[in-house]
Amino acid sequence: MDEVEEEAMSPGEREIFKAVEESLADLPGKTPLPEYEDAVCVASGRLGEGTPRQIFAANFEAVGGRVLARVEDLASFLLENDHGAGYCDPALKGAVGAPLEEAGLKVDYEYERDRCDEYLFGVTLASGAIAESGSVVLNDDDTSDRLAALTPWVHVAVLPSEGAVHLTIPDAIAALGGSPNVVWVTGPSKTADVEGILIEGVHGPGVQICLMPVDDRPAGR
Amino acid sequence: MSGQPIDHYARSLPRERRDSVSASGAVTTQGRSDVLARDFEDPDALRRLAGQIKQHALDHLDDYLRQAVAKMRENGVEVHFAPTAEDARTIMLDLLRRNGVGRVVKAKSMATEEIHLNDHLAANGVDCLETDLGEFIVQIDRDTPSHIVRPIIHKNRREIAESFEAHGLGEYDDDPATITRRARRHLRAKFLGSQAGITGGNFLSAESGRLVLVTNEGNARFSMAANSLHIALVGIEKIVPRDRDLGVFLNLLARSATAQQLTVYTQFIGGPKAANRPSGPEKMHVVLLDNRRSELLGSNCREILRCIRCGACQNVCPVYRQASGHAYRAVYGGPVGAVLSPLLAGDRFAEFADLPKASSLCGACREVCPVDIPIPDLLLRLRNRASEEGIESVGSPSMGAFATVASSPVLWRLAMSGSRAMNLLPIERIPAKPLQEWLKVRTLPEWRGGEFRKWMKSRKKP
Amino acid sequence: MFMATCLCDAFFAEAARAAVEVLEAAGCEVIFPEDQTCCGQPAFNGGEFRSSRRVARHAMEVFAGDLPVVVPSGSCAAMNVHGNLLQFEGEPDLGKAKDLGRRTWELCDYLVNGLGLDRWEGRLRAKVAIHDSCHTRGTGTGDAMRRLLGGIEDLELCEVGQRDQCCGFGGTFSVAFPHISAEMGTVKLDHALEAMPDRVVSSDMSCLMHLSGLAERQGRTIRASSVAEVLRDASAARTSTAELG
Repeated sequence: MDEVEEEAMSPGEREIFKAVEESLADLPGKTPLPEYEDAVCVASGRLGEGTPRQIFAANFEAVGGRVLARVEDLASFLLENDHGAGYCDPALKGAVGAPLEEAGLKVDYEYERDRCDEYLFGVTLASGAIAESGSVVLNDDDTSDRLAALTPWVHVAVLPSEGAVHLTIPDAIAALGGSPNVVWVTGPSKTADVEGILIEGVHGPGVQICLMPVDDRPAGR
Repeated sequence: MSGQPIDHYARSLPRERRDSVSASGAVTTQGRSDVLARDFEDPDALRRLAGQIKQHALDHLDDYLRQAVAKMRENGVEVHFAPTAEDARTIMLDLLRRNGVGRVVKAKSMATEEIHLNDHLAANGVDCLETDLGEFIVQIDRDTPSHIVRPIIHKNRREIAESFEAHGLGEYDDDPATITRRARRHLRAKFLGSQAGITGGNFLSAESGRLVLVTNEGNARFSMAANSLHIALVGIEKIVPRDRDLGVFLNLLARSATAQQLTVYTQFIGGPKAANRPSGPEKMHVVLLDNRRSELLGSNCREILRCIRCGACQNVCPVYRQASGHAYRAVYGGPVGAVLSPLLAGDRFAEFADLPKASSLCGACREVCPVDIPIPDLLLRLRNRASEEGIESVGSPSMGAFATVASSPVLWRLAMSGSRAMNLLPIERIPAKPLQEWLKVRTLPEWRGGEFRKWMKSRKKP
Repeated sequence: MFMATCLCDAFFAEAARAAVEVLEAAGCEVIFPEDQTCCGQPAFNGGEFRSSRRVARHAMEVFAGDLPVVVPSGSCAAMNVHGNLLQFEGEPDLGKAKDLGRRTWELCDYLVNGLGLDRWEGRLRAKVAIHDSCHTRGTGTGDAMRRLLGGIEDLELCEVGQRDQCCGFGGTFSVAFPHISAEMGTVKLDHALEAMPDRVVSSDMSCLMHLSGLAERQGRTIRASSVAEVLRDASAARTSTAELG
């Protein structure tokens, strides 16, 4: 730490840096940064057969997520389960919102915090997905409102055909980008705090849906 | 009270509690092992790699800390430095006051437990609500978490249902799903009415300045969506060199902690929200906590700083299973706590010097640690330190006399020469405490001192 | 060179004797330095490194030289191989400690990985439960023991449930933390005896001493044998059968 640097620091900052430097000064030997291939951090057994989209879909369902290929399927699901009203990102009005309304659902295109309990579903855009872990990637650039993707019981992440599906976790990390908030969503919210019993739907959604265009249905469906 | 406090605690622990903790530990340990074997050809190689990366980061913490701080500031994060726990409390309270905050929601953070933040905020008029289900229950019960990852591993559904009823959260109902729904409803309103969110941090990337948070419930996300101020308390040892190294740690953390591939929410937080976004913190503060970590950095127990707080050691530890977390009288219990807690206590080391003794040195913890911490070696070093400092060790016979006999062949052979007649001794009457302790629950084998030697010698004769 | 261990010296003469016989049957010349006492572990585990070093230094002298040092105990072997490295850190004779460690082997590990023995010739009609002692974690002993026992005719091996869980002996831990030690031992007995084995076998008499002692107090039957005794008994049975036939 040089003098100029030191002077610019607050007392607390200086104290911590000094303490760290002192402790490290006499270390007998320092561990070098090991070299490794990205492949060692990949659970290749989860990659299976198929395109990245198909692998993603299979793994997403394996963690309790639900893949739907068509808006019609989404509308049926919501109606069957009495999730009659919700929110949709205005940018998705044409692709999703309007068809849902046509099917008889009530759709709001503005998310109002005070009415958060009225939105039983929330439809927002996914920024991408990760095949290896079955995760949907959300970030602030694409998600219209953090709360809209979080508070409704049903969250629908829309993954358009041009949405990036990363094959592996290292790929997804390399693609984190510049958004200040990136979330990998791997299934519906859950807890096992009560006697280790798994319950889905805690503070986040209890149902996590990914709406993916029809050409990319998982193999075999 | 005679005897070791942790043994004493285990003895008085209700059997039901012991069984919950033990069964839970066994299930998660097996789950961890299964998922690692399923996904990686050589999970131990991955653990060793993770350990090396962490040790490297620690050994070069001056550089990485500098880098992380610069990056965070670049990203619009205000960075604070807390050399002590008291500093951290002061800084955080001050931040809340300056921003006119009276209501805070908290996500689970062991670092905030370590500095006893909640009590400090409450004493100063700030309403600070735990939102992780387990921590919420701990808070309403005025209890403390007993496990790093599963705060209420020691509670059963009946106790929880009673607490909920006592706190106006509905009539007694011990169905776990009902308990969870009630918490969801109750806390939802609190999130939306909060003015700030406090979290910890699992990793801090020096390369990008990103803070990584892993959760399952969605409460951390909520804490950073419902209000406009985010404060994160992060120990300086959480820094990792690069974003790509996160791939190694993220693969190990959830598998080690809960046998999941990834937790439900893995968040990468670079800074406050952009101006044009509707929800999210406008201001983000990171408080970097030292609290003796810098001291440990150069010590002979420095490997403990690699810890990523997964709880796997607690799950596997046979002593922890018998005693449960609260037996350790400190925020961190179990194997990691037996090393960390006495060291974080600073000049109060002697008060916690019994913690490293509460172990048979079986090494199960070392085998499950995702960052390859040689915990048994560290426990031995701490035992040696206690011995050198003359701290009394209750129940363990002093070994000075033994060493004298065992370094002298003559004295040794003399000690071994008592014949089988020794077996006629009324050993129950010998006033040697260790012997008496042994005999309370076990018999002693027959004394055969010197017999083998005699046999060995007799064979030489033609 | 044979290190008998202080426990065998005091209580388990039969286990030490069987180990010598096993080594000789495998073609070794067994030297027993009479001045030996103990590896130093009892003091080491309590953190009393000063005391433990005195004992370990004596062992280093007694077992000086080039010969392999074979010991019928995983924990004593681990003391020489690993424990000493810890307590001799910064000491002038660290080199000597390392040298002894390099030459020290637990018995089964020596037979299979030192001598290259592929199988143990013998016969024993028995159902045997294997108890892995904690100090054999990460060593060749566990696999070696299973290899040797697995090759014995008529011997049925059974594994013990939750085998990663310590039996609770831990040296002075057993008397400093008596309740926890006894509870751990009871859990281990439950698992070890579940399949109703004829014998419970281990590389370490320390564990067996604790488990047997506990079982006897609890009115449970357990026949605990060192692996050396099983190997010796199997070998003897084969020999006598051959003689008859």
